[in-house]
Amino acid sequence: MQDKITAAINPADEKGNYLEGAELEALQNYFRTGEMRVRAASQIGESAASIISETVAKSLLYGDITLPGGNMYPTRRYAACLRDLSYFLRYATYAMLAADTSILDERVLNGLRETYGSLGVPIEPTIQAIQAMKEVVTSRVGADAGQEMDVYFDHLIAGLS
Amino acid sequence: MSIVAKVIAQSDEANRFLSSAELAKLQEFFSSSTARVSAAQKLAANQQKIVDEGSKRFWAQCPNTPSNSGNPQKTALCQRDQGWYIRLVSYCLLAGNSKPLEDIGLDGMRDMYVSLGVPLANLKLAMKCIKEVALGGLTAEEGALAAPYFDQLIRAF
Repeated sequence: MQDKITAAINPADEKGNYLEGAELEALQNYFRTGEMRVRAASQIGESAASIISETVAKSLLYGDITLPGGNMYPTRRYAACLRDLSYFLRYATYAMLAADTSILDERVLNGLRETYGSLGVPIEPTIQAIQAMKEVVTSRVGADAGQEMDVYFDHLIAGLS
Repeated sequence: MSIVAKVIAQSDEANRFLSSAELAKLQEFFSSSTARVSAAQKLAANQQKIVDEGSKRFWAQCPNTPSNSGNPQKTALCQRDQGWYIRLVSYCLLAGNSKPLEDIGLDGMRDMYVSLGVPLANLKLAMKCIKEVALGGLTAEEGALAAPYFDQLIRAF
């Protein structure tokens, strides 16, 4: 995986350059947001289970999907859905800390559409759930960190669409 | 791989969110970032001076060495490498760990210098002199952040 820092150092080294000018400034901007990122990651990690519960309640729980014949029925499939949502939350949090989307591409999105296709997991409700998760996370971590998390949730949505 | 990428990879390996110890480590890294950036900038701005002054000190203690052999090409190559190691230390300051130094400058380093016929003991002394001069241009806080990377480099020779 890449992160904001490694992504800046590698090309500088290719040219034998110190990190200066715009590249260093971009890194400084990232450093300045570091405390916010760590705080948000901590809050999300501590309340991951309740974030997932609330996300499901907001998006999926009261629809046909949880009824017999739906994709969250029976309980085994409900649990698989919870597990996938928790992956989305965890990897979006990693990406937010790293300020880089590459870990989402490598660890989550690579082959996901195909996997869901072959398992018959519907994409539309998955995206609805991620949209709901954005709102839930923002309500927990505040507007600034929420906006930053949105970047990575949106990347997941774009990759699934 | 920076300190941030490293703790993420660790957590990912264990299928969990970051532990409170890992979060604390990142917090500490971010709160030292102003000093890290200014130290990296000073190393960048003073690289030539550090190498020149470091060479003088080195040659005073070890006059019989390739960089002081009277062959200007050899001197230039040795000093170029020393400058590169200063650059790698600046990367480490920004990455929060010694991975850039290890990956770019230490992996295979001994084989290279042995093959070039550059005595490792001499390089070790040269790097000690470079460290001394480099830290002289930094504040105490910046120096404390940079010193471990220089020390790792010195130990590697």
